[in-house]
Amino acid sequence: MNKLLDAIKVFYHKLGSYPWFYSISSKLLPIASILAFLFFVIGIIWGIFYSPSDAIQGDIYRIIYMHVPAASVAQSIYFALAIAGFVYVVWKMKMAGLFIKAMAPIGASFTLLALVSGAIWGQPTWGTWWVWDARLTSTLVLLLFYLAIIGLYSSFDNKKSADQAVSILAMVGAINLPIIKKSVDWWNTLHQPSSIRVFEESTISSEMLFPLLVCILAFYLIVFVFGLMAMRAEIATREMNKDWFKKIVINND
Amino acid sequence: MSFLKNFFSREVLIYSKKSSNVISPVIFFLICITFFPLAVSNDPNELSKLAPGLIWICILLAGMLSIQTIFKEDYDDGSLDLFYVRGFSMLEVVLVKIFVNWIFTALPLILLSCSMVFLLYFPVDKLFNLIGSLFLGTLIISFFGALAGALSLGKNSILASAIMLPLSLPVLILGSSASTYSNENITFFILLLSALLFFSVPIISLACVGAIRLHYE
Repeated sequence: MNKLLDAIKVFYHKLGSYPWFYSISSKLLPIASILAFLFFVIGIIWGIFYSPSDAIQGDIYRIIYMHVPAASVAQSIYFALAIAGFVYVVWKMKMAGLFIKAMAPIGASFTLLALVSGAIWGQPTWGTWWVWDARLTSTLVLLLFYLAIIGLYSSFDNKKSADQAVSILAMVGAINLPIIKKSVDWWNTLHQPSSIRVFEESTISSEMLFPLLVCILAFYLIVFVFGLMAMRAEIATREMNKDWFKKIVINND
Repeated sequence: MSFLKNFFSREVLIYSKKSSNVISPVIFFLICITFFPLAVSNDPNELSKLAPGLIWICILLAGMLSIQTIFKEDYDDGSLDLFYVRGFSMLEVVLVKIFVNWIFTALPLILLSCSMVFLLYFPVDKLFNLIGSLFLGTLIISFFGALAGALSLGKNSILASAIMLPLSLPVLILGSSASTYSNENITFFILLLSALLFFSVPIISLACVGAIRLHYE
């Protein structure tokens, strides 16, 4: 048990070092990209061509294979941002700040993808592009939080203060998001009975569920790849004048 | 204790000397409220239905103006640097600043919103609900606004609003519901608002201190 704890501790301290992360990520990146691509292709083809069509919605429901993974990824990234913010504020680990900077635009784009794919799905099934449903509203607010983080980061010249500022905002936002979700629920249920159930977990058949799970896994892998690439790019911009980075660049040429 | 008292009177003095900080949210609030009937409808029934939401949105937007003043001037003229360097408790500084800002910018708006009974035909029997929810809600908004202002010190003002407004969403929902629904439901929303207030006071004021500190690193 102690050995495991030590191993985690060592890993954590290594994670804080830019050169270590840069070299390990260059090894991870090809494998992860291939895996992500494979899972994505398998999941999408399985979902679009080999899963049964829905009894009520017909073939339109197949956008679920984009929509649900995107929404799930969008929320998970925000959760990860909040954890990174906590790590940065408490232990001043510089990699955590860099993580927030790199992941916030990715999270914002997946939130946007979830909203847009939801609207495209909603048009034929509900007859409208948008309803002020609790779930939709809280996703929209999630997008606003992402945009606030991106805007706040870009307003600082000093990277350190920027990291600190977005860490605080990510933490406060994460505390606030459940409250927002709950209050939107109350608002929604009191104004109008929620007539739309987007999907109930129990009603989805296993033939649809398995490709969906593959797609979700694929989206997480894609986020992992994008995240690594964005973090490497950010390391490169921050450390381009350092010796270790110049060495790597020279060796690659 | 004497520090708190001195600091409190200093803040009150500053606000009472510089009346534009107090007047501009009031003017903004009145203009906003005036324009809604002109743009939407002048039908009393419709307006009285819309009134709680309109009042709350205008209060929130007026709050955008007042959050600029909480830390900005002290930051610009360097007094905040001095408080920080002298080792004053930043938590006390933040709390006093937020409270005095609330007294001078939110209280006039709350008093003014009583007049919405006439302007927007707000139902009189729900006036107490509105005032109660405004008291709690504007305090919470002040805290979120202070955090947004502290994070974006020396930055453009749109950024502060972009941080503050999404954070204030629960207040808007709970507050406008408290002033819309009948009297049986009111305690539910008032209790939730007070819970939110007690929850956010320690967390947000600590976050404020952290946000101010990052400008001096």
